[in-house]
Amino acid sequence: MIRRTLGLVALLSLLAPALAGAEMAGVTRSKLPNGMTVIVRENPAAPIVAYSLLVKMGTRNETEDIAGISNMLQLMLVRGTEKMSGEQIAATADRLGGSIDAYGDYDYSEITATALSRNWQAMLEMVADVALRPTIPDGTVTAVRDFVVRQIRNRGEKPFDVASDQTSIALFGPRHPYAWDPTGRSEAVQKLNRDALVAYYRRRYLPSQMVLAVSGDVKSAEVMPQAQRLFGAMAAGQADSPTVPAPPPMASTREVFKVPGAQAQIFMAALAPAFTHPDYPALKVMSAILGGGMASRFFSELRDKQALAYSTAALYPARLDTSGFVAILGTGPDNLVKAEAALKDQLRRIQTEPASEQEVAVARSYVVGTLAMDRRTNARQAWYLAAAELAGLSPEYFDVYAANVKKVSAADVMRVAKQYLGVVRTVIVQPN
Amino acid sequence: MTSACRCLALAVALIVLATGCAAKTNPTASAGSEPPPPVVEVLPNGLTLVVQEHRAADIVAVHLWVATGVRYENPNGLGYAHFQEHMLFKGTDTFGPGYIDRAIEGTGGRSNAFTTYDYTTFQILVPSDAIKTAIGLLDDMAFRSKFDPKEIDAEREVIFEETRIQTDNPQTAIVREAYSAVFGDHPYGRPLLGTPETMKAATQKDLQVFNHKYYTPENMTLVVVGPVQAKAVRAVVDQTFGRRPRTGYTPPPNPSLKPIKEIVRVKVDRPEQQAYLVLAWQAPPLADPDSAALDLAATILGGSESSRLALTLRDTERLVSRVNMNNASQKLSGIVYIQTRLEAGDVDKVEKRILEEIARLQKDGPTEEERELAVTKAESDHATAYETSDGVAGAYGITMVQASLDNELTYLNRLKSITRAQIQAAAQKYLSTTAYAWIGFLPRRAQ
Repeated sequence: MIRRTLGLVALLSLLAPALAGAEMAGVTRSKLPNGMTVIVRENPAAPIVAYSLLVKMGTRNETEDIAGISNMLQLMLVRGTEKMSGEQIAATADRLGGSIDAYGDYDYSEITATALSRNWQAMLEMVADVALRPTIPDGTVTAVRDFVVRQIRNRGEKPFDVASDQTSIALFGPRHPYAWDPTGRSEAVQKLNRDALVAYYRRRYLPSQMVLAVSGDVKSAEVMPQAQRLFGAMAAGQADSPTVPAPPPMASTREVFKVPGAQAQIFMAALAPAFTHPDYPALKVMSAILGGGMASRFFSELRDKQALAYSTAALYPARLDTSGFVAILGTGPDNLVKAEAALKDQLRRIQTEPASEQEVAVARSYVVGTLAMDRRTNARQAWYLAAAELAGLSPEYFDVYAANVKKVSAADVMRVAKQYLGVVRTVIVQPN
Repeated sequence: MTSACRCLALAVALIVLATGCAAKTNPTASAGSEPPPPVVEVLPNGLTLVVQEHRAADIVAVHLWVATGVRYENPNGLGYAHFQEHMLFKGTDTFGPGYIDRAIEGTGGRSNAFTTYDYTTFQILVPSDAIKTAIGLLDDMAFRSKFDPKEIDAEREVIFEETRIQTDNPQTAIVREAYSAVFGDHPYGRPLLGTPETMKAATQKDLQVFNHKYYTPENMTLVVVGPVQAKAVRAVVDQTFGRRPRTGYTPPPNPSLKPIKEIVRVKVDRPEQQAYLVLAWQAPPLADPDSAALDLAATILGGSESSRLALTLRDTERLVSRVNMNNASQKLSGIVYIQTRLEAGDVDKVEKRILEEIARLQKDGPTEEERELAVTKAESDHATAYETSDGVAGAYGITMVQASLDNELTYLNRLKSITRAQIQAAAQKYLSTTAYAWIGFLPRRAQ
């Protein structure tokens, strides 16, 4: 990455569009005639290769009646293709010195695989096989569906998950796709069958909606032609864009839910912009000041000094559409009233008093450092490259973002806090 | 908490890892350019510095490895190596308690520490521009810790809680029992977290004495891995660790070890409904040439998803719900063990079947396909470790304390050259069917 910083200066525009053929050191990008993009990052640090095949498909493409279909489809891909059974896929991955898996998320779904780099070609072929020739066998659909329904039921029993799901519903409205977890809604998942999954697969697995990113001890000149051969045969198709409803305007609300358990959960949330928005870096720094790890205000003041929290955090997930900032506090039921007031006070203070330069500096380092830590492995590097591409951003996007985080000032933090945290929705989950 | 795993469960896990992560990028297998070799220097005060340039990410791993651990403790000071390790995070002359965790997390980084029989390690992973902070903190922790009696009392309770968590978990508890059954009176048979008596008796002075005796430059290896240059790292180390005086420390003689001559049975009543069975043997030290052959034998017999015991006992005969096998190397002697989860009524049958599978491997050896798959698994584990700077630092640290850097750098090539006959011979030599430790965790109600 040291090599890459040289290119940063020239690329400080936040929304630098992906340029066809644009290259940063060690990274090659190629668009196939059918519209699919392949990106290869050469990283000779260890004899390993990672693949991330991202598809622009997730809860964002779902409606209430099919909530969870993206994740369910992904789970089915690695459970059988025209060439191999699910067991054979797992055994082959073992032989190649790696693994292969697939899952759905909010904006993107991923097929992720690793292998010893000398087996890069065999694993690339397996990734293509899983992505292009899944059989989605009927019997397995039933077993996987039962597994997912159990997962959803388990979420309903955990106070934290219930608070998280109810906060999403409060923030985005019940029909908005960010209102449900990628595992989906039980009523919808129970109705999913092979036909529905196959139809959804055909609609979403289109070359223009897919990016394959490869990172590892491989040569781009060798990988590119093979990727072109394997994926180039896919027919181009027209993708329909999701019509994501607008979340309801922010209003001050407070809801209480009862779930058995020892802890009470307090969630305070506000709508916050997509990760491509110019305010995103300042909001991430604000979020880190409040609840980013042990140096944060929530941790040091609410947990350590006032002993009002067992657990605490601030979340602001990166999303393609309007996302949410969420302040979280887990506390004993006896402390609930005090803890709620204290959390509210924290959200008020960040809007009214400027944070110290020292505090902002620590938070900036935290945001940049956390990102760097997450990008340590080839698997995550591949994911970041593919995610930037699908969002229409350049491969250097996350380096540019890190540079922008480093420029965030105390005034920026106060400005975005005022703009986005003025009104919050509160969700409380407590024992009966 | 970032530094929460100053704990035993992880110490055990790390012992297990010691076998898995060994060696270096194989020049023939690598499509890319070779990373530069590690730079090893011994400072004038005796501290060993290992620097590896690793440019996969803008993250640097700084690990301090101290060649002291549970086996160096006095019999009336059991648990002090680990207690002392905890206290290094609880305030120094320069920093108050909690500062270290916060300072490191403030950079987006992580810190951790582990105590085992042979070594104690403190590991910091930070963005490269925080390298000076990381080295400075480790130096301060190692040489300037306060051991404040108030903090000692608080931390003692934390360790008792850690002990309870460990005892409550049958899978970690049974491995602890295996160490004590396999090594008996040898220091490798000791509890890692001490006894309630020794722990309650620990004073500020006791912990300081332990710290001053063993935390000396001569007894330390500092490993730095990341997008760094050896010269620049050396300059930072000269200003910190390099200023600490040599104390003339010489390691005590190695205690002698008695082999197991018969079947040692340890039966423990447990609250769980399921039973757990472990068979365990003494294994060669990490530096022993046999160690790698036994690694492959263990993978083939019970150490992978498609191992013999997994395919027969778990998948076909359905006698166990889980089975795994580890060859955990240490400096003086390793331990190799098979761990299963099963119904209490099947314990005798499973023991018999495991012994039959061992006998079959001893008689016929592995197939070529099994050998290849075991080598691939080792290569994959190794490549995954070497992908990140912290993985490399961990592999280098373990080998520096328990064998030599060369032992690690040649591991994969040695492993690949091991023949089926050598794997068979290792199974014959180390996996006796008439002398082993048997540890059974059985549900109370079933007896």
